[in-house]
Amino acid sequence: MVKKLQGETFLLSANELRSGKVVFFTSKGWSSSTDEAIKIKFDEINKYEEISIREEKKCIIVSPKFVELDDSGNIKNLRDKIRNSGITIKI
Amino acid sequence: MYKYSDTDKKIIASRVKQFENQVNRRLEGKLTEEEFKPLRLMNGLYLQLHAYMLRVAIPYGELSSKQLRKIAFIADKYDRGYGHFTTRQNIQFNWPKLLDIPEILHELSLVDMHAIQTSGNCIRNISSDHLAGLTLNEIEDPRPWCEIIRKWSTFHPEFSFLPRKFKIAVIGCTKDRAAMMVHDIGLRIIKRKNQVGFEIFVGGGQGRTPIIGKKIRDFLPKKDILNYLEAILTTYNQEGRRDNIYKARIKILVKELGIEKFRSLVEENFSKLSNKELEIDDKSIKEIFGFFRLPPLKPNTNQMPFKKNQEYQYWINQNVIPHKIQGYSIVQISLKAPKKPPGDATSNQMRALAEISDKFSFSEIRVTHEQNLVLPHVSNKELFNLWNQLKIQNLATPNLGLITDTICCPGMDYCALATARSIPISQKISSHFNNYLKQEEIGNLKIKISGCINACGHHHVGNIGILGLDRKGQEFYQITLGGSAKEDAAIGEIVGPSFSKNDLIDAIEKILNTYKKHKINKSDDFLSVFRRIGIKEFKKDLYDNFTKKA
Ligand code: HEM
Ligand code: SF4
Repeated sequence: MVKKLQGETFLLSANELRSGKVVFFTSKGWSSSTDEAIKIKFDEINKYEEISIREEKKCIIVSPKFVELDDSGNIKNLRDKIRNSGITIKI
Repeated sequence: MYKYSDTDKKIIASRVKQFENQVNRRLEGKLTEEEFKPLRLMNGLYLQLHAYMLRVAIPYGELSSKQLRKIAFIADKYDRGYGHFTTRQNIQFNWPKLLDIPEILHELSLVDMHAIQTSGNCIRNISSDHLAGLTLNEIEDPRPWCEIIRKWSTFHPEFSFLPRKFKIAVIGCTKDRAAMMVHDIGLRIIKRKNQVGFEIFVGGGQGRTPIIGKKIRDFLPKKDILNYLEAILTTYNQEGRRDNIYKARIKILVKELGIEKFRSLVEENFSKLSNKELEIDDKSIKEIFGFFRLPPLKPNTNQMPFKKNQEYQYWINQNVIPHKIQGYSIVQISLKAPKKPPGDATSNQMRALAEISDKFSFSEIRVTHEQNLVLPHVSNKELFNLWNQLKIQNLATPNLGLITDTICCPGMDYCALATARSIPISQKISSHFNNYLKQEEIGNLKIKISGCINACGHHHVGNIGILGLDRKGQEFYQITLGGSAKEDAAIGEIVGPSFSKNDLIDAIEKILNTYKKHKINKSDDFLSVFRRIGIKEFKKDLYDNFTKKA
């Protein structure tokens, strides 16, 4: 999960196990909004990876991943942006 | 339509129970994701970009109105009110909760549906011609053969853990409407010296290494089909690569060994096998064929009603074709309305269509690999009525086979593997060319769009193929020309450097200009022109103009 990471700041994200919903890690637990998500520095990654493993074991989340932020603190990649804000098309 | 036997029903019900147990164990933490993943994939359940995704099989594209109502019910109760018809006669729900999956599978089992063989390294849902049993030039209806193969392949103990997924398509005439030549195995029913049998192709496929299937057998008597398939699958199981996922498909094995060597291995296995149990006798064949009889259609001289309504006439021209029984028509329903995601249908549309099929088409609906639907048996005299009802549901777009009838995968809007979005591209195309006469003038043209090299949107075999790429974080689109998924199957050639989203429509227009310049008459369609003049002309016009513009 950490191997290919580049960049300096990240959010910890995952899918809720039961619902599959995209969630982000905050100081109060998991949230579907990025508003209060903890901004993680590269050298803190290992600590949060351990948290994600623990949360996975507790059957709260599945498929944890770090989402890279750009210099302004916004999600960097298009795929992660769409993953956060939803599909870009009308049904 | 095939009806489940009590044994079929029991198997499906017990499978639902089994998966319910597995889901519960996962939720209680008794199974890790690593342990659970292969189990969920065996039941069509993926974890995608936003949520879980459930893929449900529509074997050989056949749906009853009752099944379609159930799909609508599931879309409303457990999902977001719509579903996505795929290029292999499946339907996908994009937002189900893991918690609800056992209930969804139970609901499906009540109408003889399931999600088995829609994922994983097994023999997948067998696909077929959506016009099976409806046209005069057919040698034999391929659906009973799909069913025979389905029975043999589902839960086949040896073939549940193949090196990679395995896709089979069966067609019953010379016209290929099932992309048979880009399947792991393609079967075409043919007649030789008054005997009906199979012509067999192997090693076709798309993905990152697109290959047209090679003929392995000119003719195989019908009774031997399961033995021969068993021989191919055994050879693949023994020789196929398991060390590298990109080299694991049968197409790579056939390519590496060469078709002659592969054929000799298969024939050797076939001669050893000759498993009498797998030989199919005439009685069993007849029994299965019994399920696929036409409804009671009475030949008559009713003509398609003529109305002074231009839209209706366009629809008749483009979407309606004659049935083999005089007085009836096959109505093709486009799921490519302007600005709508190709292949998507809402629960309201599904319910309306179920109702419409009860009224006009003996409760039968077919699903095409081009992500459209079909009402197979409509009386000519009802066509205007039917059109009016379809129109209310935005299901009467007259664009079958035209430039806006694009095939399109979910792309980055849904898919975790995508390198770019694909649905917005198809929407751009459908908005730009949203004029029937303009489309009709362009003529037959298949645009196929994939959001990454996995090619779920069949871009390799599009007359114009569009592949979404990631260029340093920006979405770019590579164009291929000259592909075909039909009986004249071909892999498209890359025309040159890729285009940004904003330049793409301009590029397509330029490609069309080259085509129009060289078109001799109305029936000279895009593919014929491409085959006559080659890619150079297109390349020159496309990139010279772009350079000049820059
Ligand atoms: C959960 C989303 C999906 C995933 C993860 C996925 C994954 C893949 C992958 C990895 C391949 C390449 C296989 C190979 O080269 O060995 C592939 C091929 C293909 N997929 Fe998908 N796909 C998805 C959705 C779809 C959808 C929505 C469609 C139909 C619209 C589709 C139809 C196909 C087809 C027709 C092929 C090419 C045939 C072949 O296997 O060679 N897939 N898919
Ligand atoms: S082609 Fe790529 S983006 Fe499209 S559905 Fe397949 S894997 Fe996803």
